[in-house]
Amino acid sequence: MSVSMPSRRFDAVQPPAEMHSNDPRDVGWVNQNIPCQAACPAGTNVPAYIRAISEGRHGEAYEINRAANVLPGVLGRICSRPCETACRHGWAGNGESVAICNLKRSAADLKHDGHRITERLYAPTGKKIAIVGAGPAGVAAAHDLSVLGHDVYLYERERHVGGMLRYGIPEFRLPRDILEFELHNALRLGVELRPGQGIGNGPGDVRLGLLLKAHDAVLLAAGCMAPLPLPLPSRGGGATIDPATSCPDIEHGLPFLMALHRGESRSVRRRVAVVGAGFTALDCARVAARLGAQEVTIHIRTAEEYIPVTKEEIFEAKREGVRIKGLRTPVGIVLDDAGRLAGVEFVQNRLGGWRDGGRRIAIPIDGSEFVEPCDTLLVAIGQKTVNDFLDVAVDLDRWHNVRIGDDGMTSIRGLFACGDFVTGPTTVVEAVGRGREAARRLDAWLMGAPRRQRVVQIVPVASPQRERAYDFIPRQAMPTAPLHDRLGSRQPEVELGLDAPLALQESRRCYLCNLHYRIDVDRCIYCRACIEVAPRNCIKLVQGVEVLADGSYGGLREAREWNQVGAIWIDNNECIRCGACFRACPVNCISITRDEFVEVDNP
Amino acid sequence: MNAARHHVIVGTGVAGNQAARTLRRREPDARITLLTLSALPFYNRYDLPRVFRGHDDWRDFLVDPPSYYDDQHIGLRRRVQVVNVDARRKTVALAHNEELSYDTLLVATGGRGYLPEELSEFRPLLDGFATYEQAMAMRRKVPEGGTVAILGGDMIGLDLARTLVDTGHRVVVVAGPLTFWPHVESAAHRAELLQVLQRMGIEIIDAVAEGGIDAIQAGARGFAARRIAFGSGRECAADVVLPSFGLVPSVEFLLGSGIDLERGVLVSRKLRTTDAAILAAGDVCQIWSEAEKRYRFYYGWKNVRAMGELAARNLTGDDDEFEPQQDETLHIHDGSTIHSPFWEYA
Repeated sequence: MSVSMPSRRFDAVQPPAEMHSNDPRDVGWVNQNIPCQAACPAGTNVPAYIRAISEGRHGEAYEINRAANVLPGVLGRICSRPCETACRHGWAGNGESVAICNLKRSAADLKHDGHRITERLYAPTGKKIAIVGAGPAGVAAAHDLSVLGHDVYLYERERHVGGMLRYGIPEFRLPRDILEFELHNALRLGVELRPGQGIGNGPGDVRLGLLLKAHDAVLLAAGCMAPLPLPLPSRGGGATIDPATSCPDIEHGLPFLMALHRGESRSVRRRVAVVGAGFTALDCARVAARLGAQEVTIHIRTAEEYIPVTKEEIFEAKREGVRIKGLRTPVGIVLDDAGRLAGVEFVQNRLGGWRDGGRRIAIPIDGSEFVEPCDTLLVAIGQKTVNDFLDVAVDLDRWHNVRIGDDGMTSIRGLFACGDFVTGPTTVVEAVGRGREAARRLDAWLMGAPRRQRVVQIVPVASPQRERAYDFIPRQAMPTAPLHDRLGSRQPEVELGLDAPLALQESRRCYLCNLHYRIDVDRCIYCRACIEVAPRNCIKLVQGVEVLADGSYGGLREAREWNQVGAIWIDNNECIRCGACFRACPVNCISITRDEFVEVDNP
Repeated sequence: MNAARHHVIVGTGVAGNQAARTLRRREPDARITLLTLSALPFYNRYDLPRVFRGHDDWRDFLVDPPSYYDDQHIGLRRRVQVVNVDARRKTVALAHNEELSYDTLLVATGGRGYLPEELSEFRPLLDGFATYEQAMAMRRKVPEGGTVAILGGDMIGLDLARTLVDTGHRVVVVAGPLTFWPHVESAAHRAELLQVLQRMGIEIIDAVAEGGIDAIQAGARGFAARRIAFGSGRECAADVVLPSFGLVPSVEFLLGSGIDLERGVLVSRKLRTTDAAILAAGDVCQIWSEAEKRYRFYYGWKNVRAMGELAARNLTGDDDEFEPQQDETLHIHDGSTIHSPFWEYA
């Protein structure tokens, strides 16, 4: 690491016209300064679409979303929202994060009916690609590959495309007309659908080997659909059983939801216990409440604060009567004389160390077992991949998932893989991101070189685009359906969406982190007027700036004495883009540019 | 060596104030700062029903005179909200963007009234009775002989109900699973207890038998201010509606601090959190009970005061365990009154 004086590349009075850059300092700035985009597995340009919403350009906001993720209306409803955890507005002292996901949905909801989708199509390549699995990863890859001019064949074992979106997520969270609309938009550029066609060794299945011969490349995106088993001994005597197959009152959560979404009937008894701490567990509980269960309890090993589900989701489940009980691990089941479920035995836990993503380890406390009576048990503790359908010898990793190289290809030439099928269970947005990444790598392999690259686009901005008052707008709550409507037979969507005024208010809260404030040190008269008006410790007198190994700027070395001051510098990490310094500067030496990633064709 | 230590206490209820008192006694030179959301210094919340007996001057409720804090050199910062704790840097962040360093931090934020999530949409139509300001607001809204509907009916709400009946008001308790909280009663004893409440002059509506609360609405002009509609079609009019479903610990500001939380702050029997510099005391604490093999709360004035005292001692060299100070059984006296240890404040 070295320390240098920042170079002066902009004249504040006459900012340059729009330019593209792949200078590591610019790339580094965007990576470090737009936390929502950095946290999004699909790389969504969040500040840009929120800015479009605040200007009432909902259709454009939808298109900005769609450039990164082909299902904005879907993700706007069911995304796990890593962006909101990262949002600068949620940092200590700044208040609550922006409701990014709700805004994404509002762009989809509020765009005009006749909205025009913009796709920049490439000429046909004549290459044939088969994709196995039409879940979020497969659909995202199919869309991108079809835009890139390839002939795409999308195979799906179920009768309809959509994967977990259609078969895993209940309709009260994701209405099927929205899903249909966006899937249709994603797949209409000539993607050949083969629903109801399994790939594998079973009767009627197509062999993967054959598929490889018939196509230039095959992409596996089969997801992660097999429930993790939870062997539990029966306390009434008898050996450890696989509960899901040996008692009619015990079922795995995902097959339970999938059966319902295929149109099969399922029922629950009066008191339902759900074990698991993810979206599937929560969905199971809320579905059980809608199937008429009187008491629904989710039992989790740690505590509500540490489970990977959004707070809003937990709150809505509780409103519907679902209760969550923490610090317990199931260790056995209790059956009555007739072999029906009478209860679940748990052991009390204490919290242990930390796991990835803010999750915790639970440590059972010896001798603290207790029984909770219940009539139905739904087990939703996670999923694993199934790859016994592969009739080709392909390298697996230690979790028995298919191993892929840096080029996205498996150990077999022409066979690619992506999504949860490779990573194990993740989220829909993660799968969409991995699907897009796979499409890009597959295209590069087919065409011999990457056809597109990501650069930083720098556009001068004339004024701050924000007012200080916007920083004090509270987070706008999502309107929801009244409780008495929810549990009836109609089962409407629970979240109603932000209307235009709510969306406008919420969009104004965004700091627009893609705005880059700079001080032209040669014009600055060191009057400190900007420091006087700064709402935070965001403008600093520095000796120099660290330069990191990749060439981007690191931390600031603040000056303690006047004679050490090399520059006055805006700490963009602290900056909340309020614009106060810009307005206060008497010599107009502060400039603003909008720095953001764009994709351009390689020359 | 401890002379220069800065003890920061969040919350000035029974636990926080008792801790400050004990800390001052044991470390005469230490810096002690009490942080509270309230505009008033420590006052006795258990006494608040007295507003219906004509006591409406806030000075009547203070436990210590305002000069106490100056005399004891205890910094009392009112109307401040702690929004974040950085355990690594040992600082607390306040809502107005101030940072405060501590050597030891005592979390004594207690709990706030729990509103079941299914009733949350009616929050604007509900009143509270947790602070002096809320108590005065309710007194202004209830006319002489007026009606108060108490949803749930925990021991705090029932204490108010006793006073209201005594002072000529009509009280309707919408009873449910959390009536008599924090007591846990068998179904048979519960039925008996509800009958006693009726003999005390309190009207009872069984929420479950009436199909649950469907809606709470503002009454039209000229009618009672609030209307509660039940699933069965039954309706109940009242001047104010008070939710009374027990407490939820106030721990939001500790999210991300790294200390262990479940519903409350998980502490050892020595009231220590998973951070050596942070202890917790009072209704916010979830304490492991070896006898019951679970983490649990210990409510009640005597328990909370003992926790404040113990936490302060453990912050200043001791290493003792918490012993519960009161029994938890609810007695029926003469078939016509209820005795609860939670109603013994003296």
